[in-house]
Amino acid sequence: MISVKGLYHSYSKDDKYAVKNVSFEIPKGEIFGFLGPSGAGKSTTQGILTGLLSLQKGDVSVAGYDIKQIKQEMFNKIGMSFEQSNVYSKLTALENLKFYSRLFDVPTRDPKELIELVGLRGKENIRVGEFSKGMKHRLTFARSMINNPEMWFLDEPTTGLDPAIAANIKDIIREQNNKGITVFLTTHNMYIADELCDRVAFIIDGEIKLIDSPKNLKLRYGKRIVDVEYIDGSAKKKGSFSTVEQKDRDALASILHSKEILTMHTKEATLEEIFIKVTGRGLGVSEAS
Amino acid sequence: MKLLSSIKKELILAARSFYFYIEIGFALIMLAVLLFAVPEHSGARSEEYLYLDLPPAAAKVLIDETLDEDIDGRPQETELKAEGAVYKALLFQTDERDIFLMESEAAAETMTKHKKAIGAVITMDKGELHYKYFLQGYESKRLKNLLLVLHAQDFDTLETRMNEQKVINVDSGHIPLNDRENAIPPLMAFSGSLMSMFIMAAYVSLDRQEGVIKAFAVTASPVSKYLISKMFVLMLTSVISGLIVVAPLMGTKINYALLLLLLLTTGVFASMLGLLTASFFQNITKAFGIIFLPMVLFMLPAIAYYIPGWDPVWVKLIPSYPMLQGFKEIISNGDAMYVLLVSAGFLAAGFVLFLITNNRFRKTLTV
Repeated sequence: MISVKGLYHSYSKDDKYAVKNVSFEIPKGEIFGFLGPSGAGKSTTQGILTGLLSLQKGDVSVAGYDIKQIKQEMFNKIGMSFEQSNVYSKLTALENLKFYSRLFDVPTRDPKELIELVGLRGKENIRVGEFSKGMKHRLTFARSMINNPEMWFLDEPTTGLDPAIAANIKDIIREQNNKGITVFLTTHNMYIADELCDRVAFIIDGEIKLIDSPKNLKLRYGKRIVDVEYIDGSAKKKGSFSTVEQKDRDALASILHSKEILTMHTKEATLEEIFIKVTGRGLGVSEAS
Repeated sequence: MKLLSSIKKELILAARSFYFYIEIGFALIMLAVLLFAVPEHSGARSEEYLYLDLPPAAAKVLIDETLDEDIDGRPQETELKAEGAVYKALLFQTDERDIFLMESEAAAETMTKHKKAIGAVITMDKGELHYKYFLQGYESKRLKNLLLVLHAQDFDTLETRMNEQKVINVDSGHIPLNDRENAIPPLMAFSGSLMSMFIMAAYVSLDRQEGVIKAFAVTASPVSKYLISKMFVLMLTSVISGLIVVAPLMGTKINYALLLLLLLTTGVFASMLGLLTASFFQNITKAFGIIFLPMVLFMLPAIAYYIPGWDPVWVKLIPSYPMLQGFKEIISNGDAMYVLLVSAGFLAAGFVLFLITNNRFRKTLTV
């Protein structure tokens, strides 16, 4: 669905690249997470993929269209949810979606249905200027689905949302993905990436450091340790056991067999820990997932 | 469908934003000023305040001569108020003047000062009339010389000489308009061009602030439709505000088809210039400085308009010059071909600006 080869971009049009030698492929139906801290090159890459930034160097195709010569019809196939909500504040929620629905050449979704889907039912005739930040964000998210996109770009889709609404948004993303929609998810939130993405790319200083599935990354970089809390006689004890070393495995088996277990957790590495390990840098902001 | 939808959206936005009402309000204020503050013939009818310090017989001769010119042949007794005092006066109304015969020299002087008019005291010495004028102090040397010359010879000789003079109007293009009508073309040109430019820049700045241009850029509708829909709203506002000013003042005396044509084509030009200017700036505050430059430049032809003697070639190259002259031709039912040519010129210039602006918007306004 997306093919990027040797992508470079410089805002100053010199050798100070915001994005350098970025290459990746996203097959149809995948949720691909683009993880990186602010200024890493996420938005630049997404800007180029969506035609908002001109392609300077490299080969990029999106939904079967060459980005070098963007055809307007390409936008019938893509949807874009921006990090900063950008809807007309002087129009109502319904007017906003109705307006955008008429800008496509393909069958569009019922604006009222979308408004309901993102939990804004009853607010459709209120001017967006009166909306909270989170409500505006949900409307921006709803708008990105108006044209039934095959390729869906999501930039920080849960930013500023409370956990319940964020969970709703993630459910919608999963539902859409189950219908075969490909998702390009740009975020610095490792929780949402971990939960939703089939594969993630770590980008830092304009370069991709690693691409893999969250599961593989955890297997590769995780410690594979189990923390156990148990009762030994009358005392409460804790222990960490490797799931790889035979000695630890035997000790764990013995505890499981003879002691009363209070708690037991596998200790996997989080994506953020893996990101730090791989890039030597943090992702920055954590937020409600 | 996409364009209609964009236009409909822009109309709703305009109706819900105060910039639209600023332009309509400005037109209404201008109409009120022209109707109630600007007289039709402000310069043609003058007021004079005279005191005749003459023997009764001589005064009667002068009064009788003045009565001959009076419209109804009778003076009106009237009271004039100035500086807290009330003065009695006799009013003689001729075709061109209101002559107030005051009861004292002090009254004539006070009224002259209060009304910023001309006053005079006429006295007699050794059988000859003497004139003392009250002027405001800002009159030109020419007027003062004229008054001196006026009394160098007797009136009969002067009148005979004046009647013998043959006057030829060398400026055949001069179109007589009354003062109120004369004020319409600059208002049309400047409210049309300057206001449209400013309001367009404001509209685009608002859109940039809300980020909706980016959202538009990832739809299957080209940016050109965004620009055209904005331009349409500005043209509509320009036509409405133009008609608000012109229709009540000119009635059915002018060619409205030509007026609409010029309003629309100048609207295209001005809105495209506003869009192009806005494309260089992130917000209206930053655009202010640059917008002022063309605004000041566009005002210069108004000087040439009100001072026909100052009409250098370079002023004629400023777009607001043909705009202004075009509206003048329409208001005076003058040269229709000139209006058509000017309209064609603005349409062509607007089209070129549209191409440049479209290119800039695609490159610069989306990210």
